[in-house]
Parts: sequence; structure tokens; C-alpha cells
Amino acid sequence: MIQALFIALSAFGLFMALGTVFARNLVHAALYLVAFFFVVACQFVLLEAEFMAAIQVLIYIGAVAVLLMFGIMLTRNITGDETTIVTGQWRLLGIGVAGAVMIVLFLGINGFKPWTDLGVRPEFPVTAESTTPRGQAILAMTPTVGREMMTRYVVPFELAGLLLTAALVGAVVLAQYDRTDETSAAAESPQP
Amino acid sequence: MSQQIPLTWFLYFASAAFAIGLMGVLMRRNAIGVLMAIEIMLNAANINFIAFWRYGDAPAGEGPLTGVMMALFVVTIAAAEVAVGVGLILLCYRRWRVADVDEFDTLSG
Repeated sequence: MIQALFIALSAFGLFMALGTVFARNLVHAALYLVAFFFVVACQFVLLEAEFMAAIQVLIYIGAVAVLLMFGIMLTRNITGDETTIVTGQWRLLGIGVAGAVMIVLFLGINGFKPWTDLGVRPEFPVTAESTTPRGQAILAMTPTVGREMMTRYVVPFELAGLLLTAALVGAVVLAQYDRTDETSAAAESPQP
Repeated sequence: MSQQIPLTWFLYFASAAFAIGLMGVLMRRNAIGVLMAIEIMLNAANINFIAFWRYGDAPAGEGPLTGVMMALFVVTIAAAEVAVGVGLILLCYRRWRVADVDEFDTLSG
């Protein structure tokens, strides 16, 4: 039952990923990408990491997809959607390289015995008085994540905050609209 | 539940998604499309982190949430990368009036 659910979900997710890659219209590609993000969130639920599923929906669907959508809207190609993806032999080359990578990864996973033997995940008693820290972390992931962030991972946490601040300031500075700069750049640069 | 999903199924899904993302990075001409394909690849890596965390043994002295924390930081980096990437693409679009990566050839010899 759960296996059938996984297979259906994964097939849908891979189809959506292919749609993201192959859709000529970039807005359609972004919508396919939202569906793929949602499938990934469902996979996190299947892996009993509901907190990560919530984070996935909030950050990827709520923020990243919207940001990409704005990027698409603001950089709309005047010549239409015909140049969003390569054609001809380059397309064949891309498919070939990606297929080769996928085959190598599949063979690697298939041939590595410690992974293929892991058919059953470690069980934890589903009670509030679960003894192992792993079981408690799975049952109450959000407080555990908060505690880990403030104790063991406090340096990466602060670094992530610094990185996000720098990215925010950098994005604002980069995207700042400057009319005089644009006109002078348009005057000096040759037409594409 | 009687029948569980084996670890390898998650790994197969993640590697297939990674290959599709790689295909997108190689084939897309639009820079935003390349960013979207990179997001697919990062998500595939995140599934691997969570799957190995859930199926593997808990390492001693590393806390109960190793894979989840790693995936969280990957999500953070991805968000920052998209913000800066979209800003850069916007800047390039204003300068050259195109958003295709093969048109940005000012530095080519």
C-alpha cells in the first residue's frame, strides 16, 4: 500500500521535474517546479521528517518559487519562448550526459550491499516516553531542531544568518534600479 | 505498516531527479531555467540526506538530527543562492536585454 503510494508519488514527481526542464514557457516550468517541490515535501513526510516537509513548503513553494516567478516576469524575452531551451544535437548531448549520470548512479546504488540491505528503517516506539534520542527527535522534531540549533549547531546557525543577511543586501544592491546607469550602459554596449 | 519502502527507492528517486536537474542545467538557455534546474538538484540531495538519516544508525555523539540539520542548511544556502542569482540575472537582463546564458559572452575571447 505505502509502496504503491510511493511509486505513484515518485512517478508524478519525476514527470513534474521533466516538465520543469522541457517546458518552453517558463511560467509553466515554474508551476511544474512547484508541483515537484510539493512531491519532495510528500517524500519527507514518508521519511517521517514532517518538520522538513513544512520547511519545504514554506521556503521552496512560498519563497523560492515566488522569487523565480518574479524573475521570469521581469526578464520576459521579447522574442518569445522559442529560445528558452537548446535544440538539435545539443539537446541530444544534454539528454545523453544526464542519462549516463543516472545510469552510473543507479548502478552504484544497486551494487552497494549496505544500502540495498537497508529495507527496513529502525523502529522507534511511538509513545511520548520513547527512550532513544532519535525516537524523541522524530516524535517532536521542531523543539529538537530548535535545541540543536542553539547548542550543537550554533556556529553554522550564526554563519547561515550572516550568509542570509549578506545575500539580502547583495540582492538589493544588485537589483537596484538605476536609470542613469541603464541609459549609459545601453549607449555604450553594442546591440545583441 | 507491513511493507516498508526500502532505502534504495528513495535513492533511485533522488538520483533520477538529480539527473533530470543536470539535464536542465545543460539544456536550458534561459538563466532562470538554469536556476530552476539547480533547485531540482538541491532537492534531490536533500532527499538523500533525510533518507540516510532515517534509515542509518545514529552516530554516537553527533546528536539525533544529523541529516535533518544538514538538509536545513542546504535549504538556507539554496534560498540565498536564488535571491542573489535572480538579482544577477535581472542586472544582466537590464544590460543586454536578454536572459539567455549563451548571450552573456562579453568575457569570451
